[in-house]
Amino acid sequence: MTTRFPVVTGLGIIAAPGCGVDEVWNALRAGQSGLGPLTLFPSPRYGRSPVAEVRRDLIALGAPARGSRSDRLAWLAAREAVGEARLTGFNPDRAGVVLGCSVGGSFDSERFLTSLIKRGKMWARPTRFHECASATDLIADSFGLFGPCTTLATACSSSALAIATAAELIVADEAEVMLAGGSDSLSRITWGGFHSLMLVDAAGCRPFDATRAGMSLGEGAAILVLEEEEAARRRGATVLARLNGWGACCDAHHATAPHPDGAGAVAAMRIALRRAGLSPEAIDYVNAHGTGTRDNDIAEAKALKTTFGSRVPRFSFTKRFFGHALGASGAIEALVCVEALRRQELPTNLGFATLDRAIGIEPLTAVQRAPLRHVMSNSFGFGGNNAVLIFSQPDTVAHPPQQRAVAVAVTGIGVVKSSGLSPVQILPPLPPGTVKAFACGEFAGKDELTPVQRRRASRLAQMVLVAAKRSQPGGASGRLAVAIGTGFGDLGDAALFIENMIAKDEDEPMPTRFINSVHNAPAAQIAMDVGARALNSAPTARDISFEAALWQGVQQLAISEADTALVGAADELSKYVLAIGHRWSRWKNATPPGEGATVIRLVRNPDALAPLAHVTAVRLGRYRLPFDAEQEAEWIGEAVDIAQVDVVLSGAGGWPPLDRLYADAVAALSARAGRALEHRMYKHLCGDHYSASGFGFSQAVELVRANRGGVLLYTLSPSGAKAVCCVRA
Amino acid sequence: MDELAAELKTRLIQTLKLQGITPDQIQDDAPLFGTGLGLDSIDALELVVMLEKYYGIAIKDIEEGRSAMGSIHTLAEFIRTKQSLK
Repeated sequence: MTTRFPVVTGLGIIAAPGCGVDEVWNALRAGQSGLGPLTLFPSPRYGRSPVAEVRRDLIALGAPARGSRSDRLAWLAAREAVGEARLTGFNPDRAGVVLGCSVGGSFDSERFLTSLIKRGKMWARPTRFHECASATDLIADSFGLFGPCTTLATACSSSALAIATAAELIVADEAEVMLAGGSDSLSRITWGGFHSLMLVDAAGCRPFDATRAGMSLGEGAAILVLEEEEAARRRGATVLARLNGWGACCDAHHATAPHPDGAGAVAAMRIALRRAGLSPEAIDYVNAHGTGTRDNDIAEAKALKTTFGSRVPRFSFTKRFFGHALGASGAIEALVCVEALRRQELPTNLGFATLDRAIGIEPLTAVQRAPLRHVMSNSFGFGGNNAVLIFSQPDTVAHPPQQRAVAVAVTGIGVVKSSGLSPVQILPPLPPGTVKAFACGEFAGKDELTPVQRRRASRLAQMVLVAAKRSQPGGASGRLAVAIGTGFGDLGDAALFIENMIAKDEDEPMPTRFINSVHNAPAAQIAMDVGARALNSAPTARDISFEAALWQGVQQLAISEADTALVGAADELSKYVLAIGHRWSRWKNATPPGEGATVIRLVRNPDALAPLAHVTAVRLGRYRLPFDAEQEAEWIGEAVDIAQVDVVLSGAGGWPPLDRLYADAVAALSARAGRALEHRMYKHLCGDHYSASGFGFSQAVELVRANRGGVLLYTLSPSGAKAVCCVRA
Repeated sequence: MDELAAELKTRLIQTLKLQGITPDQIQDDAPLFGTGLGLDSIDALELVVMLEKYYGIAIKDIEEGRSAMGSIHTLAEFIRTKQSLK
């Protein structure tokens, strides 16, 4: 197998300091902070904290009117990156998008909630772009990319993890070109949320300073064009930098606080260094996470000292320029690192004045020119989620991870699902109503949870924890990776938090609900429960959220970064999804809505004692319209040996227009196989929801165990995303 | 018997959804965090909200909150001091 190297060929950014790489770099050079007063929404209680808003008319800059504020920010960054890379002449089926995001279209959905709560008006249009996957879909559609697309929502490490994941898609030969980065707009939930955690500095963030008192929030988007080196050279692209190392791991320590010694941060830096084939002394500069909170900065300083010993490289942090742009932050800082390499110039800090003796190391305090070969970017997030990237000059030698073709065995499955249809009441502030749904209600198995999990984990996280216990993890065997997909995340706690904020004008905030509302909370709960310290991820990719998680888990086994992977997906019924879907006749002539959680346990084949089944292929992509069933069968045939397939288990029965596409694809696959493949479905058993294909996977394993032959799990999303995976004995 | 302390125990159990714990199981001087009830920084934030909602005491700095929340006894003293200053 040939080795593939990811390189950077384009950059794009929009954030408070500027729109475009040059404008941003000039602001960094001039020491211009992006912090200023909040104008995006009223904030009676917290309105005086400075914030790094993008004060530009996004539509006037050319962004599409369709989409949320986060989507527009992402689109503007993508346009610049694609333009700079002069991205033409590539194969669109081998080009994809991975973005990191934490709140998606929440800013826009909050306008819907405000008019609902304050004026009793049901105006649901702004909620159409609520999901974090929305920006990824928009970019894939706008720039004609049909390769693997997914979105990662691991809070503040999201977009660093997105860049690492895009690199892995290139290394795994799933793609040649990837747009990778992140986007997050300011929103009431993160604004009220971080204030309720008492983590916002009323004077603006001062990372590493002795007097620091918290973070400042920001917003923006940054996108990198990553390409496989040979493909980039073939089309004559200019290589700006190499992505030589990346590392992701989990503290498995606490829902919000970092490990006090920065143990996970050290592990992530060491993984990245090992991958890059570098010793710590080779790093010329570190862009630290440096949020300005007391705990983060102390833990990060300890981690830097542990990793680099007495010779901590020059470092700075750019949070007072950009604010903490949460899901976009890792990509913004990655872009700063690539630009530093390109210009051979180190960005300074803002906000640091006095050395903290508990920290003991001092950041750069002036812009410096310096020869730079290897630079590191750190991103750490809620759930103890750590991601580290190492960028190097184009002429350096790289050591990408070894991709091995491995057989992956399924050794356990846990499912939480409804026992059947029941009427579900739609509660205030929505107009009252009843919708029949596959609800899990008070699902069984909660008694196995610990007292803390019972009193504090969200219902969604509890469903995932119960499913994980049923998959019989039996503790971690070796390094354990976790990837739990979700389409909506914990909409219940997120909506309650925002409802409460709007109704009470920000009084009586709900800190625990905010902590629960991050999409990676269930994956982090599993990590703490079983001590899973390898990759911890929360992909959110609409109807293929499960398959996106499955891909990540299988990949961690294939590159030997984990010995066991717990992967799955979960979504829960929300009164908002029910009410809005009902109004838009979402379930007319279709399977009613549902909810549920699935977690499966994967190991490399030789390590499996009594495998239930094997996963022989997973592939993610996007389908074209008009739908070409022949082309679709060919795409599936490239990943799966159709001679070994007997049953196609599809997501049909959900959105009616897709049923025809599924039927056509199965017919084309049968023609290709030269025999009639059986077409089966599963949504009538679990209801229609973003994580339904997780339940579908459990059905595929059942069919394999009942000697029904090889099963192809095939999922199409109304958004254009598609996925296929093959399960065999 | 300290009425405020008794009230605080009930509110603590309600606010933090402490299941299977009754007010009389909480000792006035037992540490709330770490050992004892085993509460953590997230519970402290919920208690900050509780103090404001029921006692009108706004805590701006979580460090101030942490020292006040050593035990039911210190929490009751903290509330009495703050309220006498009003």
